[in-house]
Parts: sequence; structure tokens; C-alpha cells
Amino acid sequence: MPACATSVPAPGAPHVLEADGIQLKLGNRVLLSDVYLRVQTGQVVGLLGRNGCGKSTLLQTVFGARPVADASVRVNGRRVVPAYRQLGLLNYLPQVPLLPSQLTVAAAARLLEVDAAAALRNFPELLAQKNQRAGELSGGTARLVEVLLLLHANTQFTLLDEPFTGVMPVHLETLAEVMSHLKTRKGLLLTDHRYEEVLALCDVVYLLHDGRLELLANPREGLRNRGYISG
Amino acid sequence: MNFAVYRRAVGLFYQRLLPLTSLGSGLILGSAVLFGNWPLPLNASVVLMKLSTFPLIWYVGQRTWPDQHWFYRNLHLAQWQLWAPLVVFDTVGFAMLVGLIHQLAA
Repeated sequence: MPACATSVPAPGAPHVLEADGIQLKLGNRVLLSDVYLRVQTGQVVGLLGRNGCGKSTLLQTVFGARPVADASVRVNGRRVVPAYRQLGLLNYLPQVPLLPSQLTVAAAARLLEVDAAAALRNFPELLAQKNQRAGELSGGTARLVEVLLLLHANTQFTLLDEPFTGVMPVHLETLAEVMSHLKTRKGLLLTDHRYEEVLALCDVVYLLHDGRLELLANPREGLRNRGYISG
Repeated sequence: MNFAVYRRAVGLFYQRLLPLTSLGSGLILGSAVLFGNWPLPLNASVVLMKLSTFPLIWYVGQRTWPDQHWFYRNLHLAQWQLWAPLVVFDTVGFAMLVGLIHQLAA
């Protein structure tokens, strides 16, 4: 597999992931059109939108798992398609369970080349379960473990599709702190229906609506005006 | 990714599909008994028969575990990098088994 062959930005400058030219139709329905997305290291970028509007499809296309004609995914201006084949470039948390059920947390961490103890250190109860199989963990615990392992993997970018689903409220704040801390060395692109958590965490927010991606200059006001949040 | 990680990933993938590949091998051996072709000779048609089971195994695997590839993609592995060694190892293993049975029965 190719090593991460992206061009290197100037010292101190962030790595920039860009995607555009993504157009997708499902039958007669335009799912994605005229999409331009930009994430850079040091940022948490939120991707919001209603159920079924194409957020997951967009993340999968950026990741490279869904071939889309004319899609262009670039890092520092260099085309990287499919992006997931580039070592150290990006990883992706799908909506569905990620870890094979027969694999222990510790074994999964070894495969992902992550230090499990370091990744789970903010969650002592998870550390105690690191020798359990993924299939034996509760849904919320498995989700939290998956998010933490991907966040701590040595990639420039992490794409997270509903990382907060099933995670206990008591853990959400700590998880958000971990994300804020890790963004100093990577770029995070996430989508979730917990708008308050996403808004509190994100530096940049995109709204996917009717197949078009809109950068919200004032996310809270933009979402309120469009009826996504109240108050 | 280093080779040890790749080896472990392929092993994990093979472990999940081993029941299906074993079933394919069992069906070939069982049909040889059923149709009076026992012990099965090790020749090209037997190997081709074994190879012809993999599209069905791929299909059943996709239907049964449709999301299994996300984990491997996070290891930067494409599907062919998992399937190629699986097909080679499983076919070689089957050929060795057929050859052994043939020698024992001779």
C-alpha cells in the first residue's frame, strides 16, 4: 500500500484535506451535488444535516470506500483517491460497529498500532475491559472504545460518523475534551445528531441540505433560522 | 503498516471465513464420495472446483458480515489484499489435504 504521499506543507502550516466534485444521485434524487469540503489539522469540523441527507455517504466518499466518478479528494493539493489506502493519512468510524466481535480491545489496538493504555487512560473503567472481546462490550462502551482508538491512531485526519451514539452522558464531556486536545495534531471531521455537543466542539460547521454543502458563518444562528435547533 | 500487522489482519479475516471455506472443501470431498470418485485425485479440475467456490463464499460473506471491511480499511487494506492470500492459502491447504488423503488411501 502506498505510504502517505501527500505534499508536505511549509513548516508550522497545517495539513489541508479538501474534497470536491462529489455528485451522487440515488434514482431521480440528487443526494450530493456541488460539494466542497475543507478540513485542516488543528480543526474540528462538524457536518450537520437531517437523517438521510447524505452525510454518511459524503464521509465514505472522502474516505475512499465509495467510488464516485469525478470526486476529487486532495491533501495539501495532491489527489489521494482512495484516501484510505494512504498510510497515516486518515481513518473513519462508520455508523455500524467497527471492531470485529471476536477481537479483544487490546488486540484491536495493536492492529491499529495504538497504545491502548494511552488511548483509554481518561476512562479507567475501559482500561479494565481492554482484554474483553469487542462483541462482549455494551454498545455504548464499544462505541467509545472505537472512537478513542481511531482518535489516537497515527493519522493526520479522523472522520467520525456519529461518535456520540450510545455513549453515556457522563463520558461525553471527557470525550469532547480528548477531541479538543487531539486536534492540536490532527484534523477531525464529525457528524452527529447531538447538535449541542457538536456546536460546542467544532471550529467550523457545514450544513448538508438538499444535496448542497453550506459553510455556516454563524452556526448556531444558521441552524436556528433553518429550524434545526430551537431557542 | 508493517508485515506483522498485515499477517495478523489476514489471519483475522481468514478466521472469520474459515467455516465457509471449510464448508466449500467439505462439499467437494463429499461429492467425490457420493459420485464414487474416492479418493479424489489431485489434479487441475479439483483445484478449479475449489477455486470456483470462492465467489459464493465472497457473496455469503458480504451478506453475513456486510460491515466487516470497515475495520480493514482503517488498516489501509483493500479487499483484494485480504482475499488474495486467503484464496492462495485455502487452496494450497485443500490441495495438500486431497494429496494426503490420496496417499493414505493408496
